[in-house]
Amino acid sequence: MRKLRTAIVAAVVLVVSAIAGSPASAQKPGGTLVQITQPEPPNLAPYISTSAPISQVTAKIYDGLLEYGFDLKPKPSLAESWQISPDGKTVAFKLRKDVKFHDGKPLTAADVKFTIMEVLKKVHPRGINTFRDVTDVETPDDFTAVFKLANAAPYMLAALSGYESPILPKHVFGQGDIKTHPNANQPIGTGPFKFVEWRRGELVRLDKNPDYWRKGLPYLDRIVVRFINDEATRTAALEKGEAHVAGFGAVPYNDAKKLAQLPSIEVTTKGYEMISPVVELLINTKKAPLDNQKVRQAMAYAVDRQFVIDNIWFGFGKPATGLISSNFAPSGLYTAEVTKYQVPDGIERANKLLDEAGFPRKDGGIRFEIVHDITPYGPEWQRFGEVVQQQLAKVGIKATLRYEDVATWLKRIYSDYDFALTSNFLYNLPDPVLGVHRAIHGKLIRQGTVFVNGSQWSDPRADELMDKATIEPDAEKRAEYYREVQKIAVAASPIIWVFELNFPTVINKRYKDVIASPLGIYANFATAWRE
Amino acid sequence: MRSFWRRFLGNPRVAIGFVWLAFVVVVAVGASVLAPGTPFAIVSKPFAPPIGEFLFGTDSLGRSLAAGLVHGARTSLLIAILATVAAVAFGTFVGSISGFYGGIVDDVLMRLTEFFQTIPSFIFAIVLVAILSPSGTSVVIAIATVSWPPIARITRGEVLTIKAREFVQAAVVVGQRDMAILVGQVLPNALSPLIVTGSLLVANAILIESALSFLGLGAPNLMSWGFQIGAGRAFLRDAWWLVTVPGTAILLTVLSINLVGEGLNDALNPRLRDL
Repeated sequence: MRKLRTAIVAAVVLVVSAIAGSPASAQKPGGTLVQITQPEPPNLAPYISTSAPISQVTAKIYDGLLEYGFDLKPKPSLAESWQISPDGKTVAFKLRKDVKFHDGKPLTAADVKFTIMEVLKKVHPRGINTFRDVTDVETPDDFTAVFKLANAAPYMLAALSGYESPILPKHVFGQGDIKTHPNANQPIGTGPFKFVEWRRGELVRLDKNPDYWRKGLPYLDRIVVRFINDEATRTAALEKGEAHVAGFGAVPYNDAKKLAQLPSIEVTTKGYEMISPVVELLINTKKAPLDNQKVRQAMAYAVDRQFVIDNIWFGFGKPATGLISSNFAPSGLYTAEVTKYQVPDGIERANKLLDEAGFPRKDGGIRFEIVHDITPYGPEWQRFGEVVQQQLAKVGIKATLRYEDVATWLKRIYSDYDFALTSNFLYNLPDPVLGVHRAIHGKLIRQGTVFVNGSQWSDPRADELMDKATIEPDAEKRAEYYREVQKIAVAASPIIWVFELNFPTVINKRYKDVIASPLGIYANFATAWRE
Repeated sequence: MRSFWRRFLGNPRVAIGFVWLAFVVVVAVGASVLAPGTPFAIVSKPFAPPIGEFLFGTDSLGRSLAAGLVHGARTSLLIAILATVAAVAFGTFVGSISGFYGGIVDDVLMRLTEFFQTIPSFIFAIVLVAILSPSGTSVVIAIATVSWPPIARITRGEVLTIKAREFVQAAVVVGQRDMAILVGQVLPNALSPLIVTGSLLVANAILIESALSFLGLGAPNLMSWGFQIGAGRAFLRDAWWLVTVPGTAILLTVLSINLVGEGLNDALNPRLRDL
């Protein structure tokens, strides 16, 4: 009898635990995730610097008003709901009432107002542009923030993530000079992880925020962000399971390809949909003979995009058709209906165009000579320069390579305009207004400002269309404007848009749901968990 | 003189070094004939194996490794020899003036030399190339700048001992002018240690040039062995020949120069052999 009872109890326990166990097998708390970030960030102040590695750390600490799904549509975060007036000039955010900063003080609308008006609009390199039309943030009560705009700003709603627009505590950052604030490297946010320490040259430690406003999250106890200078060591750390996630080119592309074959590792190119890097060749359109549109088109035909993707970036890319990434296809902003330069007879077309432009082949089959400035970003870019040199040689353009350090190169390209051809990559970001206009808008030919219109090309019609699209609340009309901009710009070829770079993110398979947002490693990892 | 050549070439190690160096020089001179066109040309599929259509295979972009080696020999030797000549010329000038005149001139020049000697030479070369922006000329300047101090010290030492000799004093009494004494009497007798050190400097220059190219600071339009290793190092696990072949070329060449340099030392200082 006793035995039977024990058996029944055991069976019940088994059944109960099986039922209870099934959701537990989905997500369970605990564990430390080791993320590799390369290079080490210069500071932890994402509100003042857009240096790429910073937000890989700080997006776990700071929340934004909104989050985004893979369809790039906004989702609630610190703002639980929002309303846009029909003319698009008023956007009202309702804030959650249960949010506390890591120092225990509650989040209120005053913090949002301070962050937008006093910090991002003034000192954030991209915020200056994103929030240029915000004239005021009104705070009728503690949990309502009403953005007043001079013009409708449809792009703004795409730029309110913790990566792009982190919400800061006014009671901390409101004291003293924001540019030299002592808390720059002691971040205090509302996010799922709290800053613990930064051992320079080694790691940043972030611990679980037990008072996080999403109850039950985050699952992980700790995130350790390690900085490993040597690329082979980074690969080895991931291979051995000492580190669990790395993205943004931290792992060499050929190694990522190899790691993908290991049973313990997953390599994904998801999580860059709101970043959309496009690799380009920037042409100085004010410098003869590159001021000739036919010459620029010929160069665009001469570059074999697929060769570059396959042999330098080891397949982590897709030929680009123009200035807007195909990641914008779902919203209709992208079109492939433009001049197509990646064609099988590209070399013949290029030769014909150069003959027409009045540059016949002379001694040694050379039409003219230019200097190609290699981008000083690492070995891939050097190989890219060497390949471009060889591909241009096929159509009779002799390119001599020049290699300078980053500061000299930036000055040469964007301050002195003393170049013919160089390479670069620009993020499209979540909206063309933020990521694309800077490359080709006439108003952005600003000598001395880096990463804006370095080709110095502009077209009155394209400028007009971009200006209209900036303040157009209707999505379909905006898309139409951008489709026409792409046609005009691609035909003029001031920049050779070579390919859409798909960064590989290497993830240890024991960790699940790490890449849960189009911002990938720039997201907060609240829902990541360890098996 | 005959005994010098006998001592020099009779040494088997020197003979081996000499044969390899002669081979490298022939290859370097005949680079354009052996591998016409630019060594940066993409000629085949990437990662072609080392035994097959292309001798030594192709690199990650499909460039022939053999063509790169041949043109790399030219670059490495040319840069190394130019840099050494510049370093020896300048070092000799500074050292001889310093040793010959002594006093305040000596003090100033030697403190200057020491200043250069205290800076770690490779780091200094990197800084120089970065400032001047990488090109053939800037690499030569950088290597020469970090290589001259030992030459200056050796020359000074030699000049100091030689100028105390009777024949130099005789020249002074006869009324020869300073420059005539220095160039005509002192320096010719200081030549043998300079030749030995100079030959070893060539080996060192090849190493510095390779290291700079490895770091991507070499002349971007010149193929060199260090460049090949730098471009291939990421693929060590997939394509071992990309780094092994140019690496071996550097090893053999530097070793040969050292063997020949030592042989020169033995031949020029016969007394050392008896020690």
